[in-house]
Amino acid sequence: MNRDKTKSQFVAVASIAAELSAVMEVAKEISLAAANAKAIAFRAGEKAKGFQPITDFINELAKETIELVRAINEHALLLYQLTVNEYRMTDTYTKIELVATKAQGAAYEDSIEQSLLEAGQRMNECRRSFKSSVTQLLDQLEEVMHPARAARVIAANSRIEASQAGEYLQSLQAVAESVDNAAQVIHDNVQRCRSALSVVDLTE
Amino acid sequence: MKMTNIYEGSYQWIVFGRDENKPDNIIDTNQYMVRTADKCLLIDPGGVELFAPMLAAVLHYAPVDQITDLFASHQDPDIISSLGLWDQALPNAKLHSSALWEGFIRHFGCESIEYVPIADGGGVINLGDIELRVIPAHYMHSSANFNIYDPQAKILMSGDIGAALEASGAPMYVDNFDAHVEKMRFFHQRWMPSNQAKRVWIDSVRELDIDIMAPQHGRIFKGDDVNRFLDWFEALPVGIAVQ
Ligand SMILES: [Fe+2]
Ligand SMILES: [Fe+2]
Repeated sequence: MNRDKTKSQFVAVASIAAELSAVMEVAKEISLAAANAKAIAFRAGEKAKGFQPITDFINELAKETIELVRAINEHALLLYQLTVNEYRMTDTYTKIELVATKAQGAAYEDSIEQSLLEAGQRMNECRRSFKSSVTQLLDQLEEVMHPARAARVIAANSRIEASQAGEYLQSLQAVAESVDNAAQVIHDNVQRCRSALSVVDLTE
Repeated sequence: MKMTNIYEGSYQWIVFGRDENKPDNIIDTNQYMVRTADKCLLIDPGGVELFAPMLAAVLHYAPVDQITDLFASHQDPDIISSLGLWDQALPNAKLHSSALWEGFIRHFGCESIEYVPIADGGGVINLGDIELRVIPAHYMHSSANFNIYDPQAKILMSGDIGAALEASGAPMYVDNFDAHVEKMRFFHQRWMPSNQAKRVWIDSVRELDIDIMAPQHGRIFKGDDVNRFLDWFEALPVGIAVQ
């Protein structure tokens, strides 16, 4: 693997961590907005009857997002370690290969063959686990988009429900607005994670 | 990589150095090998940049499975930053180095190689037919630092002590001590921190029977030049950055 490609893999994996911490913040904001909405809906009573189950649902989605992001974070950390391992093993293999070339004509040149073979196996093993880890992470990132998408649909419904809430209209609309924004932010950040990972060549 | 035999008996001492492909911005180093019938010790095997030419050169003398022992006089990158690569290339090797530096040196990568910690008092490295002494040389320049002494070959591998900053391609041996002094002065005054440590080291080394003093940089001292070095060093104030 060439140096630029390795470098961009390191950057990709590191940038995921940054994007994810933003997602985490936003998910917490949604959770707060849901609690807020619940309080308003409670005060609005009959007028916001349709709004109450929605706030519970929003809260569920926020929790789900936080859980998923937590799992993804753990995975990203593992992926970082695998990136380091892969980089090290590829570098090692390249250097031992260089030894084999330079040692031509040396009395014990053949003795390096076994080391080269084993280093090659370890390198391929590292590559395999790195690639399968990236595939898993992409799946997890796909999964975290679901609650964000659902939240946007719900935000649209909330606006309709809010319109029946009389004097609470504005506050409930603001809640719907902030859920919608947050879901949009999560969607965009996760999308950036996914495209960051696209630099990784997953072909065998 | 230039290979020079510096001792030939029932076993050998070989110095590797003056690598012509070394990048200009890294310091030139001498790596030493003690080759017995079926074992092999590499002393200060060098920086990561040097790994490939170094191992390729070593294969002229020994197969990888007989490179059984590595020694790092201290923790510096020019001494042992290649460790992570040796670790993957050598099937059965140990690294002998200071117990104090273990947690630091492991940063270079040490998974399959066994780290054999050396206590402050020093110890021995057994190579089957022969036994080498590990002599304390603390604060010279590293805070936990050792030399290797071979009583049979009468060789003292002195690490950074006796080092000189040389033009590339310099000869292996000191041939004119007085001319050589200027290449050593700044190195010793600036990198060696303690006059007290220097005195203790000189006293302990004067008790050894030494034919060859082999440093990790620059040229090797032979015969009378060993004592000339000790006398010159004794008179040299060190630790100048804080004086
Ligand atoms: Fe040093
Ligand atoms: Fe050095």
